Amino acid sequence: MKSPVFALFFLLFTLISSAQKSEYPITTISDSLKENADAVVRLDQTDIIILSQRSLNTKNHWVVTVFNKKGFDGLSAYEFYDKSTSIKNIEAIIYDASGKEIKKIRRKDFKDQSVADGGTLFSDNRYLFLDYTPISYPFTIEFNSEVQTSSTAFIPKWMPLRSYGVSIEKSFLNVIYPADLGFKKKEIQFLGFNIKKITDTNTQLSYNASNILAQKKEDYSPSYRDLFPKVMMGLEHFHLEGVDGTATNWVDFGKWYSEKILSGTTDLPEETKSKIKAFVGDEKDPIKKAKLVYDFVQKKSRYVSIQVGIGGWKPMLATDVDRLGYGDCKALTNYTKALLQAVDVPSYNTVLYGDSYKTNIEADFVAMQGNHMILCIPNGNHYTWLECTSQDDPFGYQGTFTDDRDVLVIKPEGGEIVRTTIYDDKGNTQTDKGNYTIDENGNFSGSLLIVSEGSQYSSKSRIEHLQPTEKEKYYKEYWDNINNLKLDKIVFTNDKENIRFTENIQVSAINYGVIAANKLIFPVDAFNQNANTIKRIRNRKNPFQIQRGYLDSDEIEINLPNGFTIEFLPANYELKGKFGEYKTEIIKKENNKLVYKRSMFLNKGKYSNKEYDEYRLFMEQVSKNDNAKIILAKN
Amino acid sequence: MKLIKPFCISILLLLISNVNAQEFKLGKVSIAELQEKAHPKDTAAAAAILYKKGSSRIEYNQNDGFVTVTDVETRIKIYKKEGYSWVTHKVWYYNNSNISEKVSFSDAITYNLVDGKIEKTKLKSEGIFDEVRNKFSGQKKITMPNVKEGSIVEFKYTIRSPARMIREWDFQTSIPVNYSEFVTFVPEYYTFNSRQKGYVFPKMTVEKNNKSIIISSKERVNSGGFTATRTEFSQDKFDYIETKTTYVGENFPAMKDEAFVNNIDNYTSSIQHELSMVKFPNEPLKPFSTDWNSVVKTIYDYETFGPELNRTGYFEDDLKVILANKNSDEEKIMTILNHVKSSVKWNGYYGYDCDNGVRKSYKEKSGNIGDINLMLTAMLRYAGLTANPVLVSTRSNGIPLFPNRTAFNYVIAAVETPNGNILLDATDKFSTPNILPLRTLNWQGRLIRKDGTSEDVDLMPRKPSGDNVFINYTIDNEGKVTGKTRRQCTDYNAMITRDNISGLKEEEYLEKLENENNKIEISEYSRTNEKEILLPIVETYSFTGNNLCEQIGGKIYINPMLFFTNEKNPFKQEVREYPVDFGFPFADKYNITIQIPEGFSVESLPAPAVMTMEDNLGTFKYNIAVSGNSLQLVVAHQINEAIVGTDKYEMLKEYYKAMIAKETEKIVLKRI
Repeated sequence: MKSPVFALFFLLFTLISSAQKSEYPITTISDSLKENADAVVRLDQTDIIILSQRSLNTKNHWVVTVFNKKGFDGLSAYEFYDKSTSIKNIEAIIYDASGKEIKKIRRKDFKDQSVADGGTLFSDNRYLFLDYTPISYPFTIEFNSEVQTSSTAFIPKWMPLRSYGVSIEKSFLNVIYPADLGFKKKEIQFLGFNIKKITDTNTQLSYNASNILAQKKEDYSPSYRDLFPKVMMGLEHFHLEGVDGTATNWVDFGKWYSEKILSGTTDLPEETKSKIKAFVGDEKDPIKKAKLVYDFVQKKSRYVSIQVGIGGWKPMLATDVDRLGYGDCKALTNYTKALLQAVDVPSYNTVLYGDSYKTNIEADFVAMQGNHMILCIPNGNHYTWLECTSQDDPFGYQGTFTDDRDVLVIKPEGGEIVRTTIYDDKGNTQTDKGNYTIDENGNFSGSLLIVSEGSQYSSKSRIEHLQPTEKEKYYKEYWDNINNLKLDKIVFTNDKENIRFTENIQVSAINYGVIAANKLIFPVDAFNQNANTIKRIRNRKNPFQIQRGYLDSDEIEINLPNGFTIEFLPANYELKGKFGEYKTEIIKKENNKLVYKRSMFLNKGKYSNKEYDEYRLFMEQVSKNDNAKIILAKN
Repeated sequence: MKLIKPFCISILLLLISNVNAQEFKLGKVSIAELQEKAHPKDTAAAAAILYKKGSSRIEYNQNDGFVTVTDVETRIKIYKKEGYSWVTHKVWYYNNSNISEKVSFSDAITYNLVDGKIEKTKLKSEGIFDEVRNKFSGQKKITMPNVKEGSIVEFKYTIRSPARMIREWDFQTSIPVNYSEFVTFVPEYYTFNSRQKGYVFPKMTVEKNNKSIIISSKERVNSGGFTATRTEFSQDKFDYIETKTTYVGENFPAMKDEAFVNNIDNYTSSIQHELSMVKFPNEPLKPFSTDWNSVVKTIYDYETFGPELNRTGYFEDDLKVILANKNSDEEKIMTILNHVKSSVKWNGYYGYDCDNGVRKSYKEKSGNIGDINLMLTAMLRYAGLTANPVLVSTRSNGIPLFPNRTAFNYVIAAVETPNGNILLDATDKFSTPNILPLRTLNWQGRLIRKDGTSEDVDLMPRKPSGDNVFINYTIDNEGKVTGKTRRQCTDYNAMITRDNISGLKEEEYLEKLENENNKIEISEYSRTNEKEILLPIVETYSFTGNNLCEQIGGKIYINPMLFFTNEKNPFKQEVREYPVDFGFPFADKYNITIQIPEGFSVESLPAPAVMTMEDNLGTFKYNIAVSGNSLQLVVAHQINEAIVGTDKYEMLKEYYKAMIAKETEKIVLKRI
């Protein structure tokens, strides 16, 4: 510091920054905020400055008091960066319970790591994260960061509440933007939370949230993303990795995506075009052609995720996929589209959230959304959807990863929000047909055909590819009601044409029936017992939902041992309610035979917190009756 | 356990045999290999390594002196889509100011059979990725192009390392390996220890060759052998003998993971090398690790070990205060252990030596395993106790079979007493003297004394940990059960219970307890000795349950042990490949008193039973008696060994089967 002017400036600067320091003793936290809390957010200040279409600056300043390891694990003390995003500042300060500073962690002490994990081969995106060992709880951590990016297509969502077990003293959002970029916002789920809008002008938006109590996680709840308040933000004039964009509606957005991101990516070598034409042959029907093309892609390609530069958004060229035989969801979708183009079948890239928890693209908020891409083919008055990353899925099957949700279909003439395939509860079937025999020592042997369709197909068809030891493990868990289970034969039939998976199984088990004083006791329902897994929850607060319903039907013939008489037979049973219908029936036949019939139908639906216990009791009745036992007495 | 005898130290001439195997060369992919639809010996295999050949050669280089060049080439067959992950390969390398290694891939080609002809697709730069892993290392990755079911991929890579380090070579992996060969070329100046492990052993041959190097200029430097330091010109020729050691193995089956296996790596066939000695002409011999004593000495001499252990100044004032009036050894040990536990927290990093150094860790209140337990040892010594560090290999690190420095990754403290060693670990809140965190329970550790001598220390617990349960319950005539439970856990069971409790709020814990125990409703819950970690932990509570009995045809059927019944046999596999590891021996005891409802009498009771396993491996006792309206049940289940060999698996499985059959037998009550 040679220049005196500099020195003065430096002095001034340090003065200001030390004046900003404040202390956060834990004694000032109110009791209500401590309840159920693993951590309390003392202050969370987010400042977003949009200087232009190509400049987005985000400052995060938060102070959190952490009570335990869970609270610590939930901290988001990290920032991501890549070629167009730089971390200008990142630091943290640790205070003890009394609010005294005990450690300062500077940028160089943050760990630097690639975001690529098991699922991604390579990624340009990296992040700096805090690597700190708490020496005692509670303690308080203050975090400061500043991130600058040229990409304005994604403005971070404001979610004051981001996880369970965290309460909030104060949280602020302040956004400043030029009036001419078409800033827009959407407020979601504010009801019941103490959030106030402070400013809302054509250049500034700000909110504050205060005294929000810690939320408790409960089974069968909607995702916290649907329960907690948030503000989504976006620009009509945005920028993404070197490309400007303008969109006020989905039509414009789709056009921009087609022209700026997708165009020029579907060229194919002539050789490949003629190959696929020959492969399709004389087939005229577009859907049948698509089926052949899908088969071709499944055999040729594999899923490899590589995220480099705009590759994070722009698909790899179809020619490259053709040559390399691999790509990510965008690349494989686009490649399939290119092949379909070559045989004159129109198809459209489709952006969505891929997750077994159904998540919509927010239809009334035009902006970049989604985490996955599939292909959409017009089929009469509806659409057929192709999951191009799978080498196994049947043509047009959506399973549980992309079904029943709003997605964005990108047509050259513009984007469009469409609902994907809804699998009807009554179509999600499992049909069991078989028989079993109990000998006089209680030993069990039986054979069974299990046919699964609809969304049940996706959970079953994966068994086909398990290694023998994993297969054994799967069935021993599936039938954990049968001790000493031995698998004698397993044969699968995967009918992809009709999307139907059949398991043909022979099993045996010793001591299935328990012997007590000349009696042989065993549960009648050996093959499809509903385990009682719905938890008791003390004072449930959240609504609950069943995302997918199903219908199971069983018909099992039972051969009883000779030399016994039936002392007790469970009564026929029927249970009907808003959650579904359950029915069992036992029919006595000649020659020591019984026929057991069972059907279980569950509705999908959304219910209030009060109905949860009702549901638990409904399922408890089902599982109790599934476990109903027969008693045989020795003659 | 078959494995835990150290293999003999000699690396020379174990076996000499002619391996007249096929010649494996890159590029010689046959149509027959491409046509193969399934692995002939393992039809379920998704992929197989048709061959893998590696060599590590320590060779002279004008600029860097002796360096290590490792070449690996392999051919992999893909049978099914599930095997696609095998066409992506990663090689990590050191990349920092101390050591910078280079990795390069070459000859990477995918082979497919197209219309009866072999089609080749070469890997280009677009499929090669270089990634920074952390401050110390990077990683190169490749993913092969144009892969389909039936494809064969081949690739080769070279690692150039300035250090004399030979990486571990795995002969076996999770898919079948048809042929695996590893060769080392080592100049006479260097001696390596090698250790083989696993169930399948490759054949070894040794050959000696004369080599020479010409060095232009320069002088030898003490550490790395021949290194350039001066600019004076001279030329020397050195003759030396190079030892070529070849390990060849064929037909390694795929490794499969099983339940209750401590670490599958312990059973994988592999070979490790460690530099044990350097001896250049006209220079003194420099030992690294030839036997346990020199391993220990080398470790002791590390700046981050011995000197750290001898540092004292930083804690003396504090210890003087807390040790005042502490006279017995027990008191001193507990005081110091508690002091270290409360003043320094484990940062999650392993290592037998210090990361931060003891002084800094003490000041900043956090450190790695070495920082904390060496500090603990130093404090115990300061208090006048005979305390020493014990080197340990954690369960996840595998079993140390052979004297070498890298076999260990952890350290604990031992206090020698007339009644044997007291083992201590201050990195776990709930660990107490001789009750160590489960991660350290791995066969034997190596105790190092001040005078440089060392000895094996048995880490495996011998004393069974107790789980004593008293239940007193009443059944009403509608089958509702109401009762009280008192559960007392000792030793390892106490440590585990405290661990389970510690992270949870009471309401959460009770919700979990209720749901795990047949949805009983719990009230009047209390704990005794939660913080008194030397004493057994006791939980008591009252409960009611509607799902604990069954009423069938007017009779009541009940599992007398209620939610403590063992219902599932954990040993489901038909055949066991590896030993069963319980972690520690244990004794579960249940004392149960049952009041039956008015108007009912006992129709049938399970018969008393006793089972014992051979070699005192375990005992099960079941005793039941009626007196009036009350039943008295005593059940004991005890396993005396932490590790059970595969030869006893069948017996163990049968024992569990019979125990479960007994425990699930029901009491039947009928109306009078």
